[in-house]
Amino acid sequence: MARYGMALDYKNCINCKACEVACKEENGILLGADKHRIWVGVKEIEGEFPLLSIASNTFMPSQCQQCDNAPCQEVCPTHATYYDENGVVRVDPDKCILCSYCMNACPYDARYVDDRTVTVDKCNFCSDTRLARGETTTACQATCPTKVRIFGDLDDPESELSQVLREREHFTLKTHLGTEPKLFYLI
Amino acid sequence: MAVEISRRRFLQGSVAMTVVGGMAMTPSNLFSKEKVHGEVSITTKTGTGKATLVPTLCEMCVNKCAAMARVENGVVTKLDPNPMFPKSRNMLCPRGNAGIQELYDPDRLKYPMIRIGEKGEGKFKRVTWEEAYDAILNGTDKFPGLAKILDEEKDNRSSIFFCAGEGMAEHTFKIFYEGFGSSNWLNHASLCLRTVVSGYGVTLGAYPMADLENAEYIIMAGANRAEAIVTPDTMDFFKRTKGRGAKLICIDPRFTNTAAKADKWFPIKPGTDLAFVLALSYVAVMEELYDKAYVEKYFRDFNKYKNHLYAEGYTPEWAEKITGIPAKEIYQIARDFMKHAPKAVYYPGRRSTFAKNDFQLRRAMAIFQALGGGIDTEGGLVFGKKLPLKGHETVAPMYAQAQGVDVTRAKSKPGYDDCAIVSGGGSWIAFRNRVLEGRSVYPIRGMFLYKHNPMMNMPNSAKTAKFLKGLDLNVVIDIMPSDTAMYADVILPECTYLERTDPVKSFGGPEPSIAVRNKVIDPMYETKPVIEILRGLTEKISKPLFEITKKYDEDVQDDIANRGEEEVYKDFDLTIPFRHSQEELNEHAVSDYPGAYEALKKHGVFYPKMEEYFKQVSVNEHRYYPDEAKAYSVAGGKPKTPSGKVECNLKSMARKGVDPMPTWRKEYEYSVPEGKFRMLTGRHAQFTQSGTANNAMLHDLIHENYIWINKRVAKKMGIRFGDLVEVSSSAGKVQIKAYPTEKIAPDQVFFIHGFGEESEALTWAYRSGGNDNAIIEDVVEPVYGGAAMHETNVAIRKV
Repeated sequence: MARYGMALDYKNCINCKACEVACKEENGILLGADKHRIWVGVKEIEGEFPLLSIASNTFMPSQCQQCDNAPCQEVCPTHATYYDENGVVRVDPDKCILCSYCMNACPYDARYVDDRTVTVDKCNFCSDTRLARGETTTACQATCPTKVRIFGDLDDPESELSQVLREREHFTLKTHLGTEPKLFYLI
Repeated sequence: MAVEISRRRFLQGSVAMTVVGGMAMTPSNLFSKEKVHGEVSITTKTGTGKATLVPTLCEMCVNKCAAMARVENGVVTKLDPNPMFPKSRNMLCPRGNAGIQELYDPDRLKYPMIRIGEKGEGKFKRVTWEEAYDAILNGTDKFPGLAKILDEEKDNRSSIFFCAGEGMAEHTFKIFYEGFGSSNWLNHASLCLRTVVSGYGVTLGAYPMADLENAEYIIMAGANRAEAIVTPDTMDFFKRTKGRGAKLICIDPRFTNTAAKADKWFPIKPGTDLAFVLALSYVAVMEELYDKAYVEKYFRDFNKYKNHLYAEGYTPEWAEKITGIPAKEIYQIARDFMKHAPKAVYYPGRRSTFAKNDFQLRRAMAIFQALGGGIDTEGGLVFGKKLPLKGHETVAPMYAQAQGVDVTRAKSKPGYDDCAIVSGGGSWIAFRNRVLEGRSVYPIRGMFLYKHNPMMNMPNSAKTAKFLKGLDLNVVIDIMPSDTAMYADVILPECTYLERTDPVKSFGGPEPSIAVRNKVIDPMYETKPVIEILRGLTEKISKPLFEITKKYDEDVQDDIANRGEEEVYKDFDLTIPFRHSQEELNEHAVSDYPGAYEALKKHGVFYPKMEEYFKQVSVNEHRYYPDEAKAYSVAGGKPKTPSGKVECNLKSMARKGVDPMPTWRKEYEYSVPEGKFRMLTGRHAQFTQSGTANNAMLHDLIHENYIWINKRVAKKMGIRFGDLVEVSSSAGKVQIKAYPTEKIAPDQVFFIHGFGEESEALTWAYRSGGNDNAIIEDVVEPVYGGAAMHETNVAIRKV
């Protein structure tokens, strides 16, 4: 029993996409830009050459926000989307009927259709691969060259994640929607 | 554990191929025809059952990062970072993660093959290893073998040249070259970092590393560490940018991902960095901001350089006109750099030669760095320590008939025809053009090529094609049916890095270590590691070639009369270096370090006191050496030149017609004719040159390259995103899709290297995007003969 979350030191991100590849190789994700559990959002630069705004060109690594109050779980008519014992929002492929309510409900656009399992899939913090083997990192965290991610247990006050969140300012995405994400972006 | 459909089909396919093996087949049969572009996964979900973990070193680029391969039921299912290696810290980049796709690429070279069609046509037949070796020695009805060529050339071993790309087993291949006795060795250096390595080498005595973990102020000019990843620099650095300890000044004509992480970005005019550095040096010297104690102790000819800067008038105002960087900014950068020095770095970089003045640029950068005293010190440029390895037995016979390196002395000029200095790796582009234009000193007849793709990696592909067609015997050792492999007479398939153990390597630096690439799984198909390929080849050719030497070499004839043939042959026995297995050679190489061989097997990494020093300090980070044991400073700041000084004025260079001090010349100025564009090339994080072009995973991240063109210019020309444009120069033309952006100047265009292969045997890479070297003109850098890659102007037309 844990309550898994993640902090993202997003300013470290250089948009190399190591995390995307590691995720696909670890979890057997299909290729294709529209088939991804995680991604890096890139904002096109503002200004005219040579007067460009450096600050406008940001890289925002993202994935399922693992909401404590997940709209995708709420709307699922077959209970295919559920919270597991560690607070991770998971999908049961046997129950998913591809109605795609969850895709519409997710404010973070984190869900996509996996054509092999015929499931609306999403990031599950490597729960059925790495965590199931007793490992303590997700594939995206472990591989990252600039160490953007810190994965850990929010219920354990001694975890590095809890410590970082106590010590550093952070924000969550679309906080006003009340989804209570468990991904925290460090400032 | 489920093996996904495509991989299973691909393995089944290989069985079918074995059954029909031996028959003459068209290339479409020999190379894979599996063209599954649909919703079929090529990735494999890792399992939770039994698995073995094998420590290895990545070969998806040159960095050699440590990886841990997960093997389930004989299939490699995942590559993870191996945290124990100081150089790569604890990471694998996207290419490192995609190494599995190289291993299981259905297009891989699987069997030895010999040419049955016209040279360059790409028609081969599958043969046994013995048949391939025999074809190399004795030829076929399509091409002559070594025996005929060397007999005709009267044992001039230099009529066969050798070339290799960078890699851990390049060493093994080079041993073969040394035994063979040719004088012509061409490596990637003249298409890559020759000028930077040599510029720093002659100025500071070594090509140093940059301590980006501790530097407070960094100028990154013409280096793009966010996209051209170098370990540990990339990891150390970008955790500290954006107001977190390291100030970054990015100098690049384009707005790169590195620029996105900078405090300031200045789009310099291409090829004018030398003027920028000279002006920085001018400010540091004239305003007396430099480290006087360091200069006093470790500079040679400082006053001469000072007078030179003054006499030539290298002021920021002067540089502003040339570089486009405002003078007041140059003053500011020079002052800030010197304020932070010695914890300030003018980043040396590791890239191709872009401009003709690149050697002088590197000299000027090294001297500017040294003015701040940031040499051999924490936060500056460092030399570090290296753990020595033991060598092994090789042969280097003397062939009296083998002529010297194929270069011509310049008439009435110091130096050579093509460039001032002939270095160990040669000048590829000058060599190619000389052979092509019939200017060789003696006939160049054949080539042994290892892990190298000159069709893609050398400017002016049309000339390279003609050059390769003109050779009598091309032997290609590679893992992929590259554009160059299509010009082979004999193809010897190597296994990928995950299927072989390579020579153990020592990695120097502040945190030195030894690391090894351990074999993860057995070689697939009939592929072999290069050491085994060369073992078989030398067993076949060594004695017959010695017979030719006996026939023409009077020294050998005399020697045999004195000592007897058996004794003399011992010096010419090419099989000697390849008799031992790589594991045995590695065990011997590290035998001075107790426990090292076992540690390398188990962890992939070894350094003295590793067990005491290495520990995890956070979920992401590890300690390799305690601070007091890190070798930031090994000689108290003393340069490694023979004089022990920073060399400002190189008289030996002057004798070869090279400026002894970095000097700006009028012809270096940047200009583009009206209506044309300066062509820029470069890298990004998801591709390593052409070597990864057919990787399904990386190809999925970027299907094809796009040409960057300024948005406003594109609008005027009626070019929209995705429109096909033709880019042409005197070297050739390519068609490529457009990406209008404000990240590039109105008179420049850019696209990344590594796309647009023409080999039909490459399912993913074939004609995907454009090949930069099809249009980059072959401009030779005058000092070391490097290929200057940013000197080409192109025309653009909407197709």
